Amino acid sequence: MIYGLRHRTTYSYQEQVSFARCVLRLTPRSSPTQTVLESRVAVTPQPSAVVEKTGPFGAQTITVTVDKPHLALVIEASSRIDVHVPPAPPADQSLPWEAVRARALESHDLRPEGPAAHLYPTHRTPQTAEITDYARRSFPPGRPIVAAAAELMTRIHADFRYDPGATEVSTPVAEAFAARHGVCQDFSQIMIVGMRGLGLPTAYVSGYLRTIPPPGQPRLEGADATHAWVGVWCGDEAGWIGFDPTNAILAGNDHIVLAIGRDYADVAPIDGIILATGAQTLKVEVDVVPEA
Amino acid sequence: MAVTDTSSPARPGKAASAEAEARLAAWLAAYRPLPGVPDELFDAAGQPRKRWLAFLREFAGYSPQELESRFGMSARHIRKSGASYRIYGEETERSWPLDPLPLILDQGEWDQIAAGVAQRANLIEAILQDLYGAGKLVADGALPAAAVTGSPDFLRALQGVKPPGGRFLQLYAADLGRGPDGRWWVMDDRTQAPSGAGYALENRLVVSRAYPSLYNNLNAHRLAPFFDALRKGLSGAASRADPRICLLTPGPFSQTYFEQAHLARYLGFLLVEGDDLVARDGKVYVRTIAGLKRADVILRRVDADFLDPLELNAASRLGTPGMLEAIRAGGVAVLNMPGAGVMESRALLAFLPSLCRRVLGEELKLPNVATWWCGQPHEREHVEANLDQLTIAPAFNLPEGAALGRPRLVADLTPDERAALQAQMTDRPGDFVGQEVVRLSTMPVLRDGRLQPTPFMLRVFAAATPDGLKIMPGGFCRTSDGADVRAVFMGEGARTADVWVIDDKPVERLTLIAVGDEVKVRRILGHLPSRAADNLFWLGRYIERTEATVRLVRSLCTSLMASESALHARGETFDCLRRLLVDWGALDGATPEARALDAARASLHDERAWGSAISLVHAARRTASGMRERLSADFWALLLELEADLAGGAEALASEGQVLEQVENALQHLAGLSGLAQENMNRVAGWRFLDMGRRIERGVNTCQFARTLAHDQATVDDLDLLLDLNDSQITYRARYLEGLALTPVRDLVMLDPFNTRSIAFQIETLKGHLAVLPTLLEDGILEEPSRILLPLAAELETADARALGADRTLAIERALMRFSNAVADRFFLQGANAVPTVKLVGLA
Repeated sequence: MIYGLRHRTTYSYQEQVSFARCVLRLTPRSSPTQTVLESRVAVTPQPSAVVEKTGPFGAQTITVTVDKPHLALVIEASSRIDVHVPPAPPADQSLPWEAVRARALESHDLRPEGPAAHLYPTHRTPQTAEITDYARRSFPPGRPIVAAAAELMTRIHADFRYDPGATEVSTPVAEAFAARHGVCQDFSQIMIVGMRGLGLPTAYVSGYLRTIPPPGQPRLEGADATHAWVGVWCGDEAGWIGFDPTNAILAGNDHIVLAIGRDYADVAPIDGIILATGAQTLKVEVDVVPEA
Repeated sequence: MAVTDTSSPARPGKAASAEAEARLAAWLAAYRPLPGVPDELFDAAGQPRKRWLAFLREFAGYSPQELESRFGMSARHIRKSGASYRIYGEETERSWPLDPLPLILDQGEWDQIAAGVAQRANLIEAILQDLYGAGKLVADGALPAAAVTGSPDFLRALQGVKPPGGRFLQLYAADLGRGPDGRWWVMDDRTQAPSGAGYALENRLVVSRAYPSLYNNLNAHRLAPFFDALRKGLSGAASRADPRICLLTPGPFSQTYFEQAHLARYLGFLLVEGDDLVARDGKVYVRTIAGLKRADVILRRVDADFLDPLELNAASRLGTPGMLEAIRAGGVAVLNMPGAGVMESRALLAFLPSLCRRVLGEELKLPNVATWWCGQPHEREHVEANLDQLTIAPAFNLPEGAALGRPRLVADLTPDERAALQAQMTDRPGDFVGQEVVRLSTMPVLRDGRLQPTPFMLRVFAAATPDGLKIMPGGFCRTSDGADVRAVFMGEGARTADVWVIDDKPVERLTLIAVGDEVKVRRILGHLPSRAADNLFWLGRYIERTEATVRLVRSLCTSLMASESALHARGETFDCLRRLLVDWGALDGATPEARALDAARASLHDERAWGSAISLVHAARRTASGMRERLSADFWALLLELEADLAGGAEALASEGQVLEQVENALQHLAGLSGLAQENMNRVAGWRFLDMGRRIERGVNTCQFARTLAHDQATVDDLDLLLDLNDSQITYRARYLEGLALTPVRDLVMLDPFNTRSIAFQIETLKGHLAVLPTLLEDGILEEPSRILLPLAAELETADARALGADRTLAIERALMRFSNAVADRFFLQGANAVPTVKLVGLA
């Protein structure tokens, strides 16, 4: 499936901003599950410096510096991507989860896509005993990893209420867990914290989800959103498999990967520092348009 | 214990000598080394070691009184004025009480330690080069990836980046203990930003000052060459000659801030905080009063995670956005290189012996504590099988939610704790290491006049220089308060001791002449950082305002010249004084004090009133504590004394007489501070900002006094009070035998350019300062501060006292305030509100 993507971010400032420096993680990357056909990022006003490099977790990052006074900063990323996720291996044929844990510790792969990179707690995904115990119920001894992770995903979907207003990007995972509600980020973090608590390598995946408009209605312009789900390392052979606890489905051809990291901080689409005195507002518009 | 060698020199008299012999004999007789533990003083055969005897024999020559006088005075002096004075009520600073006895090591033993530490520093450097470079150690299976990735200091953002300057480790430290077999063991590696070198320096200052002849006679190695080497090493990391070197501090709230300030001052580096720095175009700059100036080398005391909110911890307020980009671009050398902290993980201790064989082709010269990383199945089995004989410790310094906060002896855990630990080790084995229980050796310390054995640890420092590694011949020794020799109970240690490495032959004298180096003559040390200018300016303002407040309080209690001394304590003049005090926050206006004494007491001591004398002195001290490296020790000591006197005097204020006594004392201290600022500070930019702060404050205060007390309807009492406040009674009375009259008083207080307290004098002085401060652009156009000040100066020069009513005076006061703001805008960290952009909203 080929998609056209547009991700437009507009910062509006109350007072002139004289200087801005932003790290942009808005360039999708080709991988065995998707091929990037085209991509570009446009920044207005024109940056005085642009540095492109491969970021710590493999995603292409662009650091832009804007040093003339401006009242609005517009960052628009657009791309065309061919998504071709292979079917997941049958759940029962994957490795027992304890074996996955042992192999992750033995791994000789220091790269960000190796399992060792995703084993440990982070600022946003701290080890939390309650969440580990919640996850543990899906991990009886010897259960194949894909089956166990899928059950945990389904339980999160069932036990937690989807509520777009309830949490913010900075809401701690324990808070969302205790309140039993949240959005894709909260559900993904809960699954990550639970599984890492059991010693299993799990990653935070940011990207986009194709939304299908209700029958007979046109797709609304800019109404799509960025999405997040969980990558689970299932052993060297099966590799990383995407689990989407928000929708209780495996990540497939409707999921377009933007970046993968240990938590949101590794993949945040934009991190910026501005010299500002006044208030700022942010508008994000996303379009995910399947090509016929 | 027979101690009969009497050949040592410099014995005072026979009686004293006999006394010293008796003291030494008593010390040695009562000393009981702990069973089964090596001791520094006594060897295994129960005989005192030669080097200790040589020291103790002379040391015993000090009577308890002389020792107290020598050591106590020296320690108090250095502590008070030096690196680590704890601030009253703000005890964030770790204090390290110093033991009078140093740890004494002989050359032979030291050579082994030094070789072991150097080998370890080289090994760690090589491992870091590999981890952030080719990655062969992990790829080849010598090191599991998960033993590396568990450290929050494994910074992928710097993967593949060559450290500017070439090295990851500029300063390395190892914590050593002597094990039961008499060998030295490494307990921890310090690779992030080792602390303690400054304390070692401070300890040496105290001890060498306390017993100079003893110190010289024993041929103890000097520490200064090590610090010279450290400085050279840092300069060598820069990409240009004559580099600007900064010491990056987390700020005055850091536990070891004063050590950092002390080191910066000693080494001659700029002490900076994260927002003193700006990263632009792949370089890092310091904000100074002359604009942005390049920072070539940054010795950091900020942990890597906090260095760059743009790429690392976004919540950090201690860093500089863009710093990593500048490091990648090679525009700045930050040392130790961010990411070096990964080598502090205990998990890696398990692998160092085999890595040493593989990387260096040799055995570790100093073994480290036997460590098993539970992320490996066999090692975990070993740990589980021997749980009760081991210490269990966190494998990594994990951020939060880590299962185990600190190392624990499993044998000491309750059954519940033990079960919980085992469950956690099953879930996440990689988070834990098992370590053998380390027993430390003991060294003698002097407690209550007696020698006692006490467990100790030694931190040894290595600095990288262009000529190879240099090891500090000495170190930071921490001694325990208790007698439990198991290292896990040492914690951070309770006390500290100097460390002497004794050479067999006289140590080389240091000369002041730098050999081989062409030293360029300088008169000005770089450009003043904006933050320092800001702090100095406000320090000047606070001190001056304190003085004015104290003068107001004095006037409440006495009139200096009038025959009736309680003149100002009632009626309209009292109301005037009280209004002035209320206006600037020294008094809470809501509860008007009926008596002058109550008003005086509150204005001096009310901590809740932001303008009271005590609050102002607190503010001055806080401001000063943020730039200790720029103030002389005397200045700081005097300021602390003023604060302590004022704080301590709150109770003893029963009469006007007692208030007066305190006020006079405070004024003397303030005069002392002015004197030190005038005579003991170099007349470079820093002094000018301190003085500008004072001058502006004095000008503004005098305007306020003048428009309250010398308005067109002023009474004779008002004028008398004004002359008191202006400290101009004698001058006035000498000039005008006719008595008090409005116009001459106004002229003296406001316009007289020869009166050091007149407004005109302040403005003339300010003009002088401004004229020699740097300008940002060489375009010949006046900067804003001059545009405000010069017309004001002309106005006062040409003014007629008769026309200086309250309105004109208020206009002058406002112009001075505008001038103050203009100085702040031009020279300080103006408008530098670096804020993060708002975070993404609308996640699905």
